[in-house]
Amino acid sequence: MTAQTERVSVPPRLDITAWKWMRYSGILLIPLAWIHVAINDVIVGVHAIDLNYVQMRWAFIGWRIYDFALLAFAFAHGVNGLRQVLNDYVRGESNRRRLAWLLFVFWLVLSIIGAAAIVGGVRMPE
Amino acid sequence: MDTLQTNVAGLATYRGREGQISFILHRLTGLGTLLFLSLHILDTATVYFIPSLYEHAIDLYRSTPFMLGEIILVFSVIYHGANGLRIAYFDLYRPDLWNIETNRKSAIWTLGISIVLWIPAAFLMMRALLIHNFGL
Repeated sequence: MTAQTERVSVPPRLDITAWKWMRYSGILLIPLAWIHVAINDVIVGVHAIDLNYVQMRWAFIGWRIYDFALLAFAFAHGVNGLRQVLNDYVRGESNRRRLAWLLFVFWLVLSIIGAAAIVGGVRMPE
Repeated sequence: MDTLQTNVAGLATYRGREGQISFILHRLTGLGTLLFLSLHILDTATVYFIPSLYEHAIDLYRSTPFMLGEIILVFSVIYHGANGLRIAYFDLYRPDLWNIETNRKSAIWTLGISIVLWIPAAFLMMRALLIHNFGL
């Protein structure tokens, strides 16, 4: 018995792009997030983390790029995931569109705040 | 409110077994991680915007409830990643694996592997908690 397959071309829509993007970003986030968590939560530990630690880490540009990538991928992945979950509870096209805009603003504001800190770096208090 | 009630009742009574359990765990671990990530972006941003506040934020994370939460967070990140990899692999490369038998087996394996990966991390974090907060 041979399975019948038929190729269909689907016009790119936001939700199709988002569906694919969740999978690609998710695969990328496994090394990114796991290494971040293993180093900072498990090996270093919260008791060894302070302003000096952050400054030392960010003195190396590679860690800033790493943290920037983590911020960009993890937070967008998370907020889009929240949108998908909430779409199960929100009825109606217009409500869903309002929700999407609300979450987009939330994502944008926190991303800008986080990115500004990574670029600006640690300001040691006098 | 109605949909929420229906949903909670549905989760409790629908017998979807392994597939449903992994669906619920994937959502809970994802939402939990997002909640912490949102806080974490803000606390880290204080190093630039309000540096004097950073130590207070870290002090909060050093408290026992937050360190216990951190151990749960690490499980969430491990499980969400492992189960997400399963979903991505099935969806993108092997949609034929989305059958009840394979889904049940792979869901159990995913949970098992996640727990095995989590145990050494949980052990080290629990040790750090006992050393720093209980003078062990």
